[in-house]
Formats: sequence, structure tokens, C-alpha cells
Amino acid sequence: MFTPQKGLDRWISKLTQHGDRPWNYLLLFISSLIILLIISICFLLWRDSALARTELGWNFLSPTLDANWNPQNGNMQAWPFIYGTLITALIAFIIAFPISIGISIFLAEISPDWLRHPLSWMIELLAAIPSVVYGIWGIFVFLPQVVTPIGNFLAGTLGKIPILQSLFIGPIPESGLSRLAAGLILAIMIIPTIAAVSRDVFLAIPKAQREASFALGATQWETIWKVLIPYGSSGILGASILGLGRALGETMAVTMVIGNSLEGSASLLRPGYSMASLIANQFQDTVSTLHSDALIEIALILFLVTLLLNLIARLLVWQTSRKFLKG
Amino acid sequence: MFKKLLNVVLVVLAGGLILSACQPVATPAPVAATQALKIEPTLAPGSVQLVAQGATFPLPVYDVWTKSYQFVDPAVNLTYAGTGSGAGKKAIVDGTVDFAGSDSVLKDEYKTVPDLQMLPTLAGAVVPIFNLQSTEKDANGNAVAITALVLDRQTLADIYQAKITKWNDPSITKLNPTLVGKLSDATITVVHRADSSGTTEIFTKALASFSADWLAKVGAGASTVEWPVDKNGNGIGGKGNPGVAVAVQNTTNSIGYVELAYAISNKIPFAKLINKAGKAVTADADSLASAMGDFANAFDDRLNATIVDGSGAGSWPISGYTYLIVRTQSMKDCVKAQKVVEYIKWTLTDTRAGKIASDLGYSLLPQAVLDKVMGKLNAITCNGAVVSK
Repeated sequence: MFTPQKGLDRWISKLTQHGDRPWNYLLLFISSLIILLIISICFLLWRDSALARTELGWNFLSPTLDANWNPQNGNMQAWPFIYGTLITALIAFIIAFPISIGISIFLAEISPDWLRHPLSWMIELLAAIPSVVYGIWGIFVFLPQVVTPIGNFLAGTLGKIPILQSLFIGPIPESGLSRLAAGLILAIMIIPTIAAVSRDVFLAIPKAQREASFALGATQWETIWKVLIPYGSSGILGASILGLGRALGETMAVTMVIGNSLEGSASLLRPGYSMASLIANQFQDTVSTLHSDALIEIALILFLVTLLLNLIARLLVWQTSRKFLKG
Repeated sequence: MFKKLLNVVLVVLAGGLILSACQPVATPAPVAATQALKIEPTLAPGSVQLVAQGATFPLPVYDVWTKSYQFVDPAVNLTYAGTGSGAGKKAIVDGTVDFAGSDSVLKDEYKTVPDLQMLPTLAGAVVPIFNLQSTEKDANGNAVAITALVLDRQTLADIYQAKITKWNDPSITKLNPTLVGKLSDATITVVHRADSSGTTEIFTKALASFSADWLAKVGAGASTVEWPVDKNGNGIGGKGNPGVAVAVQNTTNSIGYVELAYAISNKIPFAKLINKAGKAVTADADSLASAMGDFANAFDDRLNATIVDGSGAGSWPISGYTYLIVRTQSMKDCVKAQKVVEYIKWTLTDTRAGKIASDLGYSLLPQAVLDKVMGKLNAITCNGAVVSK
């Protein structure tokens, strides 16, 4: 093996041979750019919303659905938009999660080979459809033909039960434009994301896990339920975070189907508004500086809500993986 | 198999391109410069880049104009981006564009750039569209759509203020004697624009003029307002003209508002209005021209004018000018300045440019207004020298 000698040789090798260090520093630099980006977004949103924060104060965030959004006289409150974003993402997640897990288990464990590839391909295709296409399909086909009947049914059944009444009070608009419609469209949009990632999670589980379970006499159902799902739980949670993130931030499709109305009720069957769609609708042409600053503050809230939900999900992943390793 | 499919796709795509290219307005034949224009023949094709942005209300016309103009003056490469009036005004103040489009008037901007000039280019109308079914069924038991409706100014404001929430309200039946007994007592679904827009600004300016109560509670017109119907629970916001139109078409017993141009090109029925003079009018080129005529002397030195709620017998009450905004003294590049002036003069005086606009449902300026605009254009200077030749 060549060893550096004294003099010129040594000088050259000192100059050129640094091992992995420069490479590591380069990667560290690139990764820290991401952190810098997040901090700078947060800082900019904070700085540019200064006027709204001082003028509107905490009243901006007071949790009442009977709120105002009047840019002309500067009386603006954010709660209906926060509620709209959270409730539509929640509906979407509650519906999409079990379906996506079912799809991913079928694709990874049960499906025959000839069906697996075309089906996987279709699901990935669904994930790649632009949201505006979902929106157009939504207002012309899905809303009047599917959401309105579902809404009428829910108003007639759950809407009569005293406790659930506030969430399901009707009537749903005939066009179907409502929080429920936004939630359902979002569910359709995030199913492929969650399903495709969890399928990869299941496929990555070592074969030995399944064989050990079968060897102990477990049925396929028991293997899936008691071995594979716990084993892949952190990955599935990761997939869910991705899906939830898309649901929280989705703008175009939601704007097209949610109804964009500042109605006072909390009902899923009534038109609502979301933070992302408010920004998209009004930021291009604001009435006053206070108006644009208030919209920037809404963006800050959306950013923080997404960050907070991500943190909670991280904690959950950490908890479950620790429990799984212990048990 | 796959290759065949690809071929089919290619043929369909090519067909689509040819079809879209065949639309009459999209490709005007190359024409020589009109007499009013003196085009410098020495400039190389596409050598002058003009950038503009702003209002979306006149975008259908501006799109065709900018594309057509390269045949009038090949030296000019002009782009107009529909970014909204607010963004357009900001851009002309910042100096990032050569001219801007706006549906709303300038206010504080004059403090930063005192030589900004507003130039009315076109007038457009906003119309109330509706989806109504008669309570009487036809012989086969099917619901019959009502296609003609008359509203007055107060009624329209009251509907948008949720003071009138049923179609069979006496104030509506009184105006439509033929529909007595046919209007249902269903709640009116009131559709408005969700995105901020010049259309909303014209519409709400008109409502503020129609009803003192609207003016007091909601305020004068703006591109975004707080809709009383939303609070009442019978309001819905649609994104863009298509969003409003679809919401109305998918909801029986609903009302909404869109640009006249959009309603015409999509064959959506719209209501007649009883104007200030007490006459029932429909929105068209004549009633728009009448509205402009009512306010021909209302221009201030910046050429700002509101033309809602005119007093003429034939005037459509929900009308508005759309403007271009230029800098009259502080344009630095004199070639660009000259080309901007030439372009705006072409849009205002060329008969083909005029036909493009009127085919799309917009109205051209009456002569009295046109003279004022031309006067302002002729006074534009660059580095102290008059630009117009």
C-alpha cells in the first residue's frame, strides 16, 4: 500500500486526501438548508403579519363560529377557517385511513400477482391526478349525485339525534357544496397516498415474521392483525402523516367544493371555508394592508397547525415503536 | 398495440390544436397598420418587450387583443397576465410593468407615483343569473324552468342582504305578474364570488347605490365583502365566474351574478332589472352605452368614473369601466413608451379591435369618453418629449 512520504508527496496527499470529511460537510450543509428554509418561512410570516397581530390581537383567534370577516371595516376573525380546515381534514382522515390500510394489506398480502401490479399502478396514478381535476369532477358529478343524497340521509338520521345534531343539521345545499363534500373529496385524494406508502411498509416486513407466525398456527387474519400491523405501525403512521398533511394544505379542490361561506353553524352539511382556500381566494386582490396582513397571519396559523399535528404524530410514532419493542 | 394507441392520441391532440386554431377571433389575418398608427419599420420583430398585468374582468378581450397585436406591429411582444386589479396596481407603482389593468380606482398610489393615469378602455355589465322552477308541472309531470324574471334594484339588494329569502315574496311577485302562483316558497340560495374580483366590486358598488341599508351595513363596493347572506345561512361562494354559474345551475331556486360576457357565451338566462328611471332593461350593448352616456361628464382629471345606477331610461344599472393604468411622465424607455401609447390607441380606435370586444359582450367607449382618453394619451411624455406622433 502506498504511504505518503516526506516533502512534495506528503504535501500533495495532504491537499487531496481528506477522507470523507468534505463530503460529509457538504451533506450537512445541504440538510441544514431545509432547517433554514423552515425558519425563514416562519420568520417571514411572523414579520409580515405584524400589523394584523397588533391591530386584531387575540380577538382574531377567539373560538366562535359566529365570526366576522369584513376586510372593509377591519373586523376579522379566523376561527371559522381554522374549524373548516380541521374538520374537513378530520373527515377525510377518518374515512381514508381504514380504507387505505385495507387496500395496502390486500395489495401486499392477499392479492394474486396478476392483479397486484395493475392495481398498484392505478393507485399511484390516482395520487398523481392534479387537485383541480378532482375539484371539477367534484362539482359536476360527485357532489350533486353522491354527496347531496348522503347529506340528505345524514340530516334525516344523525341530524335527529340530540347530541350529534349540531354536526349533522341540514339541509345540505342541493348543489352539495358543503364541508362534508370537501371532506369526502379530500378522502378520495389522500387514499392513494396512504395506501401506496403503507403497501411499501408491509412489503418491507421480513418474510421470517410471517413464517414464524404461521408456524405458531396463526391464521392469515391473525398474522396480519397481530404481527404485521404492529410491526409496521410506525411506517403506517408516517403514511398517515403524509395523507393528513395533504388534506390540511389542499387548496384548489377544497375551494371548489366547500361553498366558501362564513356560515355560523358547525354542521358538516352546511357550506364552510378553509384557511387555504381563504388565502387563495382573497390574497390576489386585498382591500387594505390590514386585510393582506390578516391573510398572512392565517398562513402562519396554517403553518403552525400543520407543524403541531406533525409533532403529535411524531410523538405517537415514537410511543408505539417503543411499546412494540418492549412488548 | 401501444403504438397504435399513441398514434390515436397524437391524432386527437393534433385535431384539437387545429380546431382551436380555427376559431375566428383567435387568429386574425395579418393586416397592414391602420392609418392612425405610425409603426417604425426599422425595429426587428419581437424586439420590444411590453409587460402588463392586472384585472381579470376584461381578460377575455385583452387575451385576444395582445395576441392579435403582433400582426399589427410585429416589433412588439406584449404579454398581459390576469393577476387581479390589486396586483396590477402594485406592479405599476413598483415599476415592474409597462402598464397595468384595473377595475378599481387608484387611491393612495398617487402619493408614491403622482403621474399615474387611469384610462377607461371598455365597459362591461354584471348580470343576475338564476335557476328557478315553476311550482306548476307540465303535462308529463316534469318541473318547468322559469326563463324570464324581472327584479328591481331594491329587491336585488334585499335578496343579497337576506331580507328577502323566499321566491314567492310579495316584492318579487309584484314585479312578475305572469309568475304569480308559480314561484315556490323555497329558500333562495344566494351565490356570490368567493375570490376577490372586479365583478364583485362592480356588483357591490351597484348594491350600495341601490340600497341605503346595504351601504350602511356592508359598505361601499369592494372586491371582497362580507356577505350578509352567508351569515343568514343561505349564501354560497363560488370560485370564478364558472364556480358561480355551476353552483346556480346545480341548485334550484338560486340566484347568482356573473359577467355579461360569461352569461352570453354560456347561454345562461339572466334577469331584467328595473333601473333608476323605472324602466325594465336587459343587459346588452345598448343599455351599457346608455349607462356610459349618463356619466359622460362625471370623469375627474384622472378619468375615474363610476357608471353604476345611471339615471337614463335605457341604462343597465350594474355596469363598470375597466381601466388601463399608465405612467404619463416617468416612463424611462421612450421606445417602450411609444409602443404602449400606440397599442392603447389601437385597442381604442381600430375597428377590428372593437369588434373583438363587442363580440365578447363588452361595450366600446362612446365618442365623448374616447376623446378624453385620446387627449390623455396624446399628452404622455417621455424624458420631457411628447411620445405620440
